[in-house]
Amino acid sequence: MNKIVYLCEDTPDGIFTAIYDAWEARLPDDVLSLRVERNYEMELFAQCRYVQTDMEKAVKVARSIKNKISHEAYYMIYYASLSYEQDKIDCIYRFLKMGFKCGADIVNMHSYDIVCRMFELKRNVGNEAHMFREIMRFHDSQERILISRIRPKNQVLSLVAEHFSDRFPEEHFVVLDEVHEMGLFHEKGKQWYLAPLERELLERIWQHRGYTEYENLWKTFFNTIAIEERRNYKCQRNMCSLRYRDYMVEFH
Amino acid sequence: MAYVENLSIEEKLKILTDAAKYDVACTSSGVERKGKAGMMGNAAACGICHSFSADGRCVSLLKILYTNECIYDCKYCINRKSNDVVRTSFTPEEICDLTMQFYRHNYIEGLFLSSGIKDNPTKTMEEIYMALHLLRNVHRFNGYIHVKAIPGAEPQIIEQVGFLADRMSTNLELPTADGLRELAPNKTRKTILAPMRQIQNGIVDRKGGIHRIGCNKHNGDDWGLQLPNTRLSKADGWGLSTLQPENPSERRDYLLHSECDLLHTQSIQNLYQEKSKFVPAGQSTQMIIGATPENDYQILSVAEALYNRFDLKRVFYSAYVALNEDSKLPALNTKPPLLREHRLYQADWLLRFYGFEANELLSEDAPNFNMFLDPKCEWALRHLEYFPVEINTASYAMLLRIPGIGTKSARRIVMARKNALLDFDNLKRIGVVLKRAHYFITCKGKMMHQTKIDQDYITRQILQLENKKNWELEYSMTYRQLSLFDDHSFVEKNQDCLMIQKQLSEVV
Repeated sequence: MNKIVYLCEDTPDGIFTAIYDAWEARLPDDVLSLRVERNYEMELFAQCRYVQTDMEKAVKVARSIKNKISHEAYYMIYYASLSYEQDKIDCIYRFLKMGFKCGADIVNMHSYDIVCRMFELKRNVGNEAHMFREIMRFHDSQERILISRIRPKNQVLSLVAEHFSDRFPEEHFVVLDEVHEMGLFHEKGKQWYLAPLERELLERIWQHRGYTEYENLWKTFFNTIAIEERRNYKCQRNMCSLRYRDYMVEFH
Repeated sequence: MAYVENLSIEEKLKILTDAAKYDVACTSSGVERKGKAGMMGNAAACGICHSFSADGRCVSLLKILYTNECIYDCKYCINRKSNDVVRTSFTPEEICDLTMQFYRHNYIEGLFLSSGIKDNPTKTMEEIYMALHLLRNVHRFNGYIHVKAIPGAEPQIIEQVGFLADRMSTNLELPTADGLRELAPNKTRKTILAPMRQIQNGIVDRKGGIHRIGCNKHNGDDWGLQLPNTRLSKADGWGLSTLQPENPSERRDYLLHSECDLLHTQSIQNLYQEKSKFVPAGQSTQMIIGATPENDYQILSVAEALYNRFDLKRVFYSAYVALNEDSKLPALNTKPPLLREHRLYQADWLLRFYGFEANELLSEDAPNFNMFLDPKCEWALRHLEYFPVEINTASYAMLLRIPGIGTKSARRIVMARKNALLDFDNLKRIGVVLKRAHYFITCKGKMMHQTKIDQDYITRQILQLENKKNWELEYSMTYRQLSLFDDHSFVEKNQDCLMIQKQLSEVV
């Protein structure tokens, strides 16, 4: 039998829909593969099925994970679905298949490869999201909107959104994810939301950022706080890798 | 000393940051607080580091002094009265403005305010109170605040500040009272421990009066903070000592058989971790390492006593950086003892999270840490009779004692083995550092390689893993001329040859 590949949108909703469709088709494991449509490289002798994102299906999948496995498993799957790794949907699908059999225990069963892999995906996404809570820098604009720009591997926007809207309830802010061309928007006193942004629009918003004296004061502080006698750039690089420094003002 | 007026905010920031940078603590952990409408900020229990400075230390808080004027003359301090440096002060408004704006740009997690002593301790504390009051109640700042309790200030003002801050700390400065007398003539052990005790009691009272047994015993002048040779029996309560009998043979039974006791005790502790509004993130302290001749055993015992008797959240160790010239201080060109500081932090973690006690790690006969091995490895090598440990049956407490296994991986092991027997591959993916751990464990009755359980053999193997790391830590920033007679003449000759070869290859 030829391989069958389900191709879906790279969002949690798209992924959950694909899982719903694949589940219904009841294909044997060695034939089935689930991939993200973007960046998919055609394979020989594989039949592609394009998945149309369907909120209703996605909600059904999410609900049955929470009811039949556990909230913790859902949390793990949601994080994994934001990962940049190619095999993430396959992993989620197989993890779910096992999960519906073993129930809530599944999240701790590190003796199975698939659980380990899911754990790795979740940890990677969670760590990167935490990283951006730390190193994201906001710039002020003339309209008193805070603007920030990030270049993450995983889709961390929805994970940092809660943190910052809790932290700055009285601020307007925008976070631009240039890799996934998405924006996080928060209006003072309102609920945050995500929206896809085309490159050109993203750059236009970014142009609005202004410069304030506090940026300079922060650099002064940052350069003064280091103790000369303990200088250790290697340790600094271990803790804060060069890859993340592009938008950290203190390094420029 | 020159008090300069009309400095720009940037100049002030530079001076008062420079004066504050030797303080070690920059953590923002220990309290979880949601944001509020109309305010700015929240707090995350795990703490958030926003950047890392050129010395590799994390930058989490805006760490500044209120003023660098000081009436004291502590010998080791850059701000001592007799130093000729430019003196200045922030105004409360300036502090608020910097904190709010830095926070808004996501540069910092909050404020860490310390101060030199202007006129007298109480007056300085009052000015700090004014700044915090303005920040919390007028600027509506809801983020993290760490503030110093100044020894000698009136208890009332310390109490008031405690309701505005998340964490307070009182610097112990030096590990022993003798050291303090030598180097900080204006301070005494008693005035330092008094606010510490006051804050502790304040926290306990506001948690609904659950006192740890023995906390309030007043043992003469030293408040129960004694050196090892005269140490009294430990404060008990929910502490680990109930689990660990003094008799070593019983201890061994406990390590081998009791299942998950530690997990259980920790959950009991959590029951009582209800946060008070008074200093909700607890208190910490710091001491300077290497300015006075104390050994590691003394230092670690003091830290242990502080954890047990004063409920401290953290004790910080600060490698002495030679700034001032004085006959009572180490010479000016002394390098900060970074590796020693590192070992103390490792041991500190063992005390707090791994169920170790100071006298297991060090003793009167061997009072200092091994510079080549970390404390946990050293302990394991001295107690090979416990090893190898079977991963699938060992207690949680015993898992924690295996080099290469941390609290997270130990927890994962306990959960994962409920469903299946674990093998080495599983352990690797769980996060166990097998290159260290494999000398000490078996999976399903087998070791990973054929290893002799022999102290010398394992020590040699592990030293090879460690060498490079330790060397870098101590010498990373010095350029030295290559010499055949290297000062790393430890263990064996062939080890030395290896070192020299390595250096040669690095140079070439």
